[in-house]
Amino acid sequence: MPETAPLVCLAGVTKDYPKVSTGGDRLRTLAGLLFRRKELPHFRALEDVSLEVLRGQSVGVIGENGAGKSTLLKIIAGVVRPTRGSVRVDGRVGALLELGSGFHPEYTGRENIHLSSALMGLSRGDTQANLQRIVEFADIGAHIDEPVKHYSSGMVVRLGFAVATVMNPELLITDEVLAVGDESFQKKCVAWLERYLADGGTLLLCSHSMFHIQTLCRRTVWIHQGRVRMEGPSFDVTREYLTHHQERTAAERKAAQAHAASVGVMRLEDAWLERPDGMRESTYRRGETLVLQATAFEPDDRPPVLLFGVVRVDGTAVYGSHSNENGFVPARLQRTRFAWAVSFDHLSLLPGKYIMRVHVLDPEGLRLYDTVEREFVVTGDTRDYGVVELAHRWLPGKDAEGEPRAAAASHL
Amino acid sequence: MAHVAVPGAGPARWSWLLLSFTRRELATRYVGSAWGFAWSLLHPLAQLAIFAFVFSQIFRVAVPEGYGGASYVAFVAVALWPWIMFSEGLSRAMGSIGANAGLIRKVAFPHRLLVYSALLACCAIHLVGYVAVLLVLKATGTPISLLGLPVALVLLIPYMLLAAGLGAFLAALQTLLRDVEHVVQVVLMVLFYASPILYPASLIPRAFDAWVRYNPLAWYSERMREILLKGSGLVMGDLWWAAACVAVFAAGLWFFNRLSPSFEDFL
Repeated sequence: MPETAPLVCLAGVTKDYPKVSTGGDRLRTLAGLLFRRKELPHFRALEDVSLEVLRGQSVGVIGENGAGKSTLLKIIAGVVRPTRGSVRVDGRVGALLELGSGFHPEYTGRENIHLSSALMGLSRGDTQANLQRIVEFADIGAHIDEPVKHYSSGMVVRLGFAVATVMNPELLITDEVLAVGDESFQKKCVAWLERYLADGGTLLLCSHSMFHIQTLCRRTVWIHQGRVRMEGPSFDVTREYLTHHQERTAAERKAAQAHAASVGVMRLEDAWLERPDGMRESTYRRGETLVLQATAFEPDDRPPVLLFGVVRVDGTAVYGSHSNENGFVPARLQRTRFAWAVSFDHLSLLPGKYIMRVHVLDPEGLRLYDTVEREFVVTGDTRDYGVVELAHRWLPGKDAEGEPRAAAASHL
Repeated sequence: MAHVAVPGAGPARWSWLLLSFTRRELATRYVGSAWGFAWSLLHPLAQLAIFAFVFSQIFRVAVPEGYGGASYVAFVAVALWPWIMFSEGLSRAMGSIGANAGLIRKVAFPHRLLVYSALLACCAIHLVGYVAVLLVLKATGTPISLLGLPVALVLLIPYMLLAAGLGAFLAALQTLLRDVEHVVQVVLMVLFYASPILYPASLIPRAFDAWVRYNPLAWYSERMREILLKGSGLVMGDLWWAAACVAVFAAGLWFFNRLSPSFEDFL
């Protein structure tokens, strides 16, 4: 089987959902469906989406709520027929659009495995043979013999995903299924998905977790208002997506700030990044000095606590600290206004895009009042890996045999 | 390799799913109740008891000659169970799409399996009741033709295909127009009293001849009695009706399959 054969091919897919709020609409729609008339009252969920997924690829699908991600996955899974456009899927599809949707609440978990696996296309023999593995993967202990109605939502998801692990689809479609499980189960699922991909499986993953998208998917499609807004390497697309959200949040923030000023709530007035000479800047060479400046309003004229955190653009936390660590007192510009500066000398971050998060807390450092984010880029050439350069020295090594074990132990 | 291969969309795959749906359909009726399955059998028995009391004790309806001296209870029972299979099967088949909306929205599978499984579960339950009642009647002296039993079962197949066809048609229609359900309940009630189930077709006035002739319920009720009480075999008319039932089934399924890809839009 050639690695490059397209497994999924969507061309100009448009999906209209009929508007059926009134009885008349319903009758009109019925007639339209039977006699294949077009132009019915509708709203457009997807418009002219073309997508190709090659065998062995892992593709992420991101977008806001209601952007059309689920509709797209449903079309590929064969649950929904597109209004226009063509869909071709050359392989067995395993779709996890909602885990546990085939479960009967009165049945025990074990009994539900049967129907659920039948829905996924497993034969009776396959289910029997793999029952033990499903139960082990779900790992919900004695609950497996209790009715599903007593399950928590996380347990339902565990069981649902467990059933999926024994089938071996050529294309696996998952819609936000990792979100409900707890940390350890998520890890288990991600590990399973990674192995599935390593074995040559093809994955379509819809998630709001940029972390999952970046770890599991090489390519990502960003669906925005029913259309493909961007498609490309996961890292680029997720970064653009996050930037888009930041801009939106910033606009909303301005409105909120105006409101906060009028009612006298503590807030960050401004925060910016600058060079030691006072030039505002968002790009720094590695090793340069970056200064964070922040001003805040505190209606009771007591000095608030400032907290900063540096995160990489994908959400990886790098470092954070706060101003009441060593009893630091900010400058009081005038009544109710305070200012801080934090200098990061010899910036040791590796090249990449970062976010400086600034928070203001009440003077006791208990309640968080406001948050501002500033993005910055660190440039430079490096062959190092990771996020930050750790101070280190290279020394000539020695043979492990050369050192007596007793001596090594005595150091401890 | 630890994984199992998923069979293609072949009949083997769907037959196992159909069986699973049917099992679930059956189980929903007894899960959580102490008497479970017995309730499904008791319900038609209670209906039979009421009809028997009202019509043979209060109205004192006499069973006409030619039914082998069967009691009124036997006369009604023979036609009542097929009717219950038909009407309940039809209602459940009609409701099967709405009842499984969650599944249809999230999983790709042939939706008609839901219609079939609703009907199959219904037939399974009432067939057990039917055969049990016939055997009890036989044991208590009613001249039930045991040879007629397999013939009657064969005759039930086109009858149930009719229910499946109508059920599929109505299920699809019901998905778009929620009024269908209410209309059907009324129509079924009218049909029950307008068809010769509680009374013989011979009592229907001449003016309604055409109604008796072209009403499949009348045909199958009368035929069930003729086969089980009079020991009749299959006749030519059975073939015509079977052809008509298959035609209705095909038409209903065509309509269902036409709308089925759009179910998700409306549920």
